[in-house]
Amino acid sequence: MIKSIDPEVCIGCGACVRICPLDTLRAGEDKKAFIAYPDDCMTCFLCERACPSGAIDVDPLREVLPPTFPDVSVELGGGRA
Amino acid sequence: MKNTLKITRVETDLLILGGGSAGLWAAHRFAECMPGRRICIVDKGPRDWGGLMAMAGGDFEAVLPPDTVDDWLEDLVYYFDGLCDQPLMEAILSRSAERMRDYERFGCEFFRTPDGNLRSVPQRGLPHVRLYPARVKGRGGELMAKSLVARLKDAGVTRMGRIMLTDYLARDGRVIGAAGFHCVSGEAYIFHAGAVIAATGMGGWKTSYGKNTPTGEGLRMAFAAGAELQDLEFARVWNMPRLFAWEGQTHLFPLGARFVNRMGENFMSRYSPVLGPNTDPHFTTVGMALEIRAGRGPIIFDVSPLRDEDMVLLKPQTGWQKLNYEKLCGLGLDLFKNNTEWVPQMTVSHGGIRTEIDGSTAVAGLFAAGTARSLEPGVYAGGFALMTTAVTGHMVGETAAAWLRNADAAPAPDEAEAEALLERAFAPLGREGADRLTPKQVLTGIQTAVFPHDVSIVKNGPALERALAEIRRIREEDVPRMAAADPHYLLKLHEVVSVAFVSELFVRASLERKESRAGHFREDFPHPDPAGPAWLLVRHGADGRPVFARERVPLEKWRVPLTRCYQDNFAFVERKAAGNVQDRPS
Repeated sequence: MIKSIDPEVCIGCGACVRICPLDTLRAGEDKKAFIAYPDDCMTCFLCERACPSGAIDVDPLREVLPPTFPDVSVELGGGRA
Repeated sequence: MKNTLKITRVETDLLILGGGSAGLWAAHRFAECMPGRRICIVDKGPRDWGGLMAMAGGDFEAVLPPDTVDDWLEDLVYYFDGLCDQPLMEAILSRSAERMRDYERFGCEFFRTPDGNLRSVPQRGLPHVRLYPARVKGRGGELMAKSLVARLKDAGVTRMGRIMLTDYLARDGRVIGAAGFHCVSGEAYIFHAGAVIAATGMGGWKTSYGKNTPTGEGLRMAFAAGAELQDLEFARVWNMPRLFAWEGQTHLFPLGARFVNRMGENFMSRYSPVLGPNTDPHFTTVGMALEIRAGRGPIIFDVSPLRDEDMVLLKPQTGWQKLNYEKLCGLGLDLFKNNTEWVPQMTVSHGGIRTEIDGSTAVAGLFAAGTARSLEPGVYAGGFALMTTAVTGHMVGETAAAWLRNADAAPAPDEAEAEALLERAFAPLGREGADRLTPKQVLTGIQTAVFPHDVSIVKNGPALERALAEIRRIREEDVPRMAAADPHYLLKLHEVVSVAFVSELFVRASLERKESRAGHFREDFPHPDPAGPAWLLVRHGADGRPVFARERVPLEKWRVPLTRCYQDNFAFVERKAAGNVQDRPS
């Protein structure tokens, strides 16, 4: 999931906003990008790669989904905490 | 609402829904066949991003010498347990080498050995089916998308992004356009077209990286317009890392990787002494699920058998895959050094629009290509989708051009009907009420009902019945309560409406198919039906609701007999000898 966009480093070019497949990012009035819809990020890294100033950090860990095995503990490969 | 909607109207000869591989190829071929005619591609994501192909590795399946189309057809009849539309597959396979050559002509490179020969990786333990890897692992699909978009720009094709189309417009039984909205501006759109191609991808459950955009609106819209669907009982169940995303496992298993259980046992060799771990992910996923259920999880990915000289094919060297890999290494999750846990997970639907070989649907003016039409029954060989989407996209571009040459001009849309559809699509925007739900809440409810292993992977009747009751409740009670705070969430809301539609059909079709075949495993019906393979179609009942119909596969008319089934290689339960094979003619 996308972790952060550093407003001090963002140059407001809009490349990340244009490329995001899930419309997760938007530009503010100052043209700088911000994470408008964090839940929608699919960890594709397109924004981080498109950013010319290195302002974006995407965490590679993916979203936790409802489990395939709700009754088996995580230690045994299931999803029960 | 009607008076406040700002509607933008677009006139075009060809409207293509979806800017992924199939849509781009359809536009490319149509432009070649009918230069100068107007083509408009509309995608709900960004303009020109290339859809799921942009996330793919760029590995391509193609029938190249010394293999023949007949060789591959025999493989696929066996691999699909007979559920193979042989004339369709023959048509697709016959065109696969041309599309691979096109990609090479466009500048996309495939991996070659030092002596200049193409390197191939056999798939799923099949004698002939193989993929040809991209030259550099990491962004092959992205380069394919860019190469196609560059050609469409030269051809003057209009490409539009961030527009979610929710309904087809029809007059006198002919689809003549579509209506929807822009997910940033909230502007309404009406497209009027001579012909319409659905290249909308499959249905799915928004599970990980490349699987978050295919949500099934193409299926829902086509069904509403009168088209038939098929193969809804098949979903791509997959093995994926618990914590992160990984692209390219289809190389890993043929080259020696394997899953092991908590005791370090290579369990797939127990379930399938013949194929072992180098098999289709559907069957691997069933094996993983049975191990976890028996208390032998977690499942660990074991790469120790891989050879150093193959690492060039396996370690990402560029693109998002390289960035992902480097970041994971930084977290101590180096796939090639650390033990990583993998889990069984359902991802996308294999259901699709039923079409003729050339991509025509039962509805005049509406055509389909790529994964919006169903091509494989829940089993999946690496590189298959890049090939089939390219070929069927190319084919449907030709089909739409030929149809349009002889068709009357499309009648104008019924304005009142179009505005009523838009009004309905916009209704959840700003919906008030203390009981309103977000699209995410409803999606989570659907995932919770469908993901459990006894509904999605090792299916059984009582679990499917429970899931069906819950999905029906969600569709009746929760879906109408969804509200969207802005046009972005309105798009997500319409995605969830389609996810719910596909989910109900998935569960119903899974109940209907009382046997195990290809990518559908019923623990309570673990054997194939002795009556032989049949497709499960979804048609309109008298009240417009889905009704299932069975259509026998006419093996007696086709060239390749069903002499063995791929699923016979697996002993997930005690199996009787398969009773559905034909004797090979002497």
